[in-house]
Amino acid sequence: MNRPADNDAPEGAPKNVQEQRLLETWRTPRGWRYWSAVNNTEVGLWYTVTSGCFFLFAGVLALLMRVQLATPGAEFLSADRYNQIFTMHGSVMMFLFAVPIFEAISILLLPQMMGARDLPFPRLSAYGYYSFLIGGVFVCGSLLFDAAPKGGWFMYPPMTTDYQPGIGADIWLLGLSFIEIASIAAAVELIVGVLKCRPPGMRINLIPLYGWYILVVAGMILFAFPPLIAGDILLEMERAFDWPFFDPSRGGDPLLWQHLFWIFGHPEVYIVFLPSVALMAMIVPTFARTPIVGYGWVVLAAVGTGFLSFGLWVHHMFTTGLPAVTLGVFSAASQAVAIPTGIQLFCFLATLLAGRVVGSVPLLFIFASLATFVFGGLTGVMVAVAPFDLQAHDTYFVVGHLHYVLVGGTIFPLIGGTYYYYPLVTAKQLSARLGKIAFWLLLVGFNITFLPMHWTGLLGMPRRVYTYPAGMGFETLNLISTVGAFVLASGFLVVLWDIVRPKGKEPYAPRNPWDAGTLEWLAEMPLKPWGIRSVPIIKSRDPLWDQKDLVHDIDEGRFYLPDAEEGLRETLVTSVIDARPEQCLRVPGPTFLPMISAAFTGGVFIFGTYHWWTPALLSGAGAVATILIWLWTGTARVPEKEAKNVGLGLELPIYISGPSSVGWWAMFITMLGDATAFISLVFGYFFYWTIHDDFPPETSAGPGVVWPVVGGVLMLLAYGMTIAAWRLNRADRSGAFYFTLATAALLTVGGAAALFAAPWSTGLDPTRHSYDAIVWLLVGWTVLHAMVGVLMQLYCLARRSAGHMTARHDADITNVTLYWHFLALTVALTVGVIAGFPLLS
Amino acid sequence: MIMHAVNQSLQPILDRPRRATFSWSRRSIARWALLAVTVCTGCQGPQSALSPAGEGAEQIAALFWAMAIGAGMIWLVVIGLAAYALRIVPQPHDKRSSRRWVIGGGVIVPTLLLSILLMFGLAILPALVRPAPEGSLHVEVVGVRWWWRFIYPSPDGGSFELANEVRLPVGEPVQFDLRSADVIHGFWIPSLGGKVDMIPGRQTRLTLWPTAVGTYRGVCAEYCGASHAKMAFDVVVMPREEFDAWLRQQAQDAIDPSEPDARRGSEVFLKSGCGGCHAVRGTAADGSIGPDLTHFGSRHSLAAGSLENSPDNLRRWITEPQSIKPMAVMPGYHTLSDADLASLIAYLQGLE
Amino acid sequence: MDATPPNAVPNAKESDESLLAIFVSPAVWAAHFMACYITAAVWCEKFSGDSLSLAPVRVAFGVYTLLAVALIGVNGWFGYRRIRRTPGDHAYGADRAEDRHRFLGYVTTLLAGLSLVATLFVAAVALFVETCH
Repeated sequence: MNRPADNDAPEGAPKNVQEQRLLETWRTPRGWRYWSAVNNTEVGLWYTVTSGCFFLFAGVLALLMRVQLATPGAEFLSADRYNQIFTMHGSVMMFLFAVPIFEAISILLLPQMMGARDLPFPRLSAYGYYSFLIGGVFVCGSLLFDAAPKGGWFMYPPMTTDYQPGIGADIWLLGLSFIEIASIAAAVELIVGVLKCRPPGMRINLIPLYGWYILVVAGMILFAFPPLIAGDILLEMERAFDWPFFDPSRGGDPLLWQHLFWIFGHPEVYIVFLPSVALMAMIVPTFARTPIVGYGWVVLAAVGTGFLSFGLWVHHMFTTGLPAVTLGVFSAASQAVAIPTGIQLFCFLATLLAGRVVGSVPLLFIFASLATFVFGGLTGVMVAVAPFDLQAHDTYFVVGHLHYVLVGGTIFPLIGGTYYYYPLVTAKQLSARLGKIAFWLLLVGFNITFLPMHWTGLLGMPRRVYTYPAGMGFETLNLISTVGAFVLASGFLVVLWDIVRPKGKEPYAPRNPWDAGTLEWLAEMPLKPWGIRSVPIIKSRDPLWDQKDLVHDIDEGRFYLPDAEEGLRETLVTSVIDARPEQCLRVPGPTFLPMISAAFTGGVFIFGTYHWWTPALLSGAGAVATILIWLWTGTARVPEKEAKNVGLGLELPIYISGPSSVGWWAMFITMLGDATAFISLVFGYFFYWTIHDDFPPETSAGPGVVWPVVGGVLMLLAYGMTIAAWRLNRADRSGAFYFTLATAALLTVGGAAALFAAPWSTGLDPTRHSYDAIVWLLVGWTVLHAMVGVLMQLYCLARRSAGHMTARHDADITNVTLYWHFLALTVALTVGVIAGFPLLS
Repeated sequence: MIMHAVNQSLQPILDRPRRATFSWSRRSIARWALLAVTVCTGCQGPQSALSPAGEGAEQIAALFWAMAIGAGMIWLVVIGLAAYALRIVPQPHDKRSSRRWVIGGGVIVPTLLLSILLMFGLAILPALVRPAPEGSLHVEVVGVRWWWRFIYPSPDGGSFELANEVRLPVGEPVQFDLRSADVIHGFWIPSLGGKVDMIPGRQTRLTLWPTAVGTYRGVCAEYCGASHAKMAFDVVVMPREEFDAWLRQQAQDAIDPSEPDARRGSEVFLKSGCGGCHAVRGTAADGSIGPDLTHFGSRHSLAAGSLENSPDNLRRWITEPQSIKPMAVMPGYHTLSDADLASLIAYLQGLE
Repeated sequence: MDATPPNAVPNAKESDESLLAIFVSPAVWAAHFMACYITAAVWCEKFSGDSLSLAPVRVAFGVYTLLAVALIGVNGWFGYRRIRRTPGDHAYGADRAEDRHRFLGYVTTLLAGLSLVATLFVAAVALFVETCH
């Protein structure tokens, strides 16, 4: 490889000096400081391993259930223990495995696929990871103390409000809410990653399909999780403070929970499934040795599924006695979603037809996935037909169906993906022999376990029963399922062994071992911490196949960012549509801050579970303080120079603000999620209006008009002044800026107080009726957001006075203004609903 | 108006006259069902949705078979194509013909099939959720953790309460008015038709139309806590005359026991406080927390379908109910002497 | 290599493109879906009275559907125009502004098609259900 061209490093320092500096800058910390790493390769790996552990834990729970159900009337597990176990199996699989594993793998792989050095917010990833770890261990640990939730993963009240006094339900609500917040954090990170951190030239029509799926799935998380968080808030408020949201004797309704839960719960199925399709979309073209057939169709399928999946939630409620017209509407959408699902599978089949297929273990698992998922999809269409669902609902038929979809659609591609991507993580390859053994054990074991369940269900066996009587025809089928479960488990053991067995003596995998076309396979074996030696210009969807000498030129550092002169970690920010370079983004290096603030945040939820309010509040203060330190020290730092040469003669700014910057996008996306949670609460208000003849009830005074309007006007004034302050800062009118923003903060406090005074002054009692409770909740939500708004205003004042914010470097106030746009909407809507709506009805 | 016209034009195709609620192509259903039963020997069971004995169940079973066969064929085609593409295809096909698979197999065929299926499902849906015609039998059902309260109209115009066993006349629609006393339950008699949840604060309903005399089993379908698995009931479908006789008999108060042992048992019953929770109409026992026991002896099973109604099982239930039904409210009466227990059992079993 | 200069393509400048355009049709579907569901739910729960007639809801379904189909049609047409009016072959996989332009048009058109089918599926309910039961 010693060619003269090697000295052609385009500009700057000699190649080996550049490499040394890059290595130094991106080096993973050693010793105990290893845990301060925030780079996507470390965090992604921890995330993957942790969610894998939760998968194994939930799998063992499943085996316990199968032992109990092997024979009728068995007493292996008590009813109470069984109910805890099935609740935990579902909850852990969904919340601690299926969603996190997607985020884990994406954090690990997405930057590689995008030729980026890291994700835009490494510390946010680390924060999300530690939140996930703490929350997950807390939730799983409850099982060891016989205190686990036992309300099913769907937690229907009133069983989970009035009939389960222990802390199990609180652990579920608070522990998992905590994790949901972490999931949303990861979603923000990934959306910005796909939209803004692509390599130059990777236009929107050239993104690897994985990127499209991530974009869709992260967007779905953003709109699906907040309704559940809203529901969690309602349910926990009822459990902790007796606010009767779901208590029919005081104006509540258990069905509201079901709506909020399933608005989350059905998109969730696709949130879990689409990332695995994304893996298939990466694996199939590699082994078909041809680019994907129907790229646009796959994008259509991803986006279409993302949208349609939000129109299915009531099909989990087909038996709640809703009118036929409602059942019909949701049945129609449930069938429509099968169309895009089918399209993407046919695109994969067409790609295999068009290519010259090379056999491999990953491809075997793709086949397993197709066979099982198509089966599950077809039974899914069956249960989407409302009349059939009236029989199949809540039976083992559905248990069979959902496992075909989730194991076939999610787990098998994941195992295929594990065999495929393993070299990118460890630089070693998994064993093809063990892979084939695992394939057969898993495929056969899976079908023996779950195929009979369809039949068991139609013979009348309901779900979630800890035992069943003899003589119903269930015995043989259940015994077969149990035997199959152990075969299936042995298959997972083989995979596990293959992953963890020592591979020290084996040679490193060759570079690009599968001869794939996508960018992540640039990785050198053994792996280098810098991710990519220089950030290339991309001209094709399969650059490694189509762009001649690409690898060589990248290795030689002939593209962007081949050096780290300042010893700072840098990656490129590009434009959304055409990936034009826009900024040289400096990303932070190792720090313990995310771990500490995640621990504090966890404290709020964990102490809250036990109703230890003082430690919870202290913990909350700790979380706010650490997050403020993190923001203060790590974000929007004024750089030592305005622009830098990133290579190839390109000068890029180091500091940008507004819609081109990643921070602006993160705020925007976060607030979309936040607004969705708020809308869900407003939905609650109107839901009560729909089901009650008199709402607001005549017995309630309501919050009046005067105080809400006063509060609203004050806060909207504050909003206007915040915008004015942003302009004044830009005009560099320092005094006016301080005065305006400080006044805005005061007005906000006054407005929040007035809003709070509204239900207070009329004596609304949140424990009396669901109306009083929902009004208080809307007010509380708005006041809390106003307080955050004040904190932000004060932060901007401090930033400017400390010289971290100037007329030119105004990212802080720009993002705060963006927050305030959403806050103003929240205020207007709250006032309109609590003060305005009663006047209309 | 346009829609009305469309309805009119669809009428002959869908063959669903509005007068008779359940007569949607009964003949074709019967044919399907016959075929299904002859094909399916493993479908039998007291709780099976695939050995239908009611109109709803028959329609849905036929729908199931039709969809299952269709789905099976689709699965074979898709997997056949996958196997062909993965293993058998010798030469790469050209892009254009591959793309045809996307458009044909991925778009056109599924859209057509799903449209047909949707129309089919929508056509039979309204009849399945419609209330029973005027004048039909109404049975009120209350789900209680973990048993069932059945309230029948008595022949004299009032109503009376039974528990854990429901009897119906064959060939007539019956409407169940469903409520819950505590958490959400699901009322389901698979052999007769679909299920509907029982939701606190709401009243839901389910109309069934039994078509065959026999004994079936209903269960709670919605997870409702510790003993969800032990919340079942017996369903007896009988000819109209027998049903009328049964209803008259059940509406009456309990007959005082004549046997001395059973008479002693009635005293044990009252002395032990059983009447605080259970009612035996015509006696001082008027509790309403637990199941009505006025005609307990006539029931097939005890503890909401958990055990066969036999003296030995009853003894187990009275002395250690939690071992049979975890978290059951009923306390265990293991302090009763053997003699008292025997008398109590004789009394209860005699309440026919 | 395609010799057409990039500026020959109308609207192929990056600043004229919007990723949001591809989401218009699915968003219309979502709005139609929610409008149908909410109208039916609120009507049956609060206003249908003893007759339980669904007639006004069915009319509303019809109006919503006409509106939605029109909007999706327009969005789909715009998408289709982008494919047709962009010179060169119909591929969209190359690193050129017109390919990106065509690609966005292509996806817009396909999503309009899917949204149309899904909208009509939902509308079909009004043909079959006649009461609030």
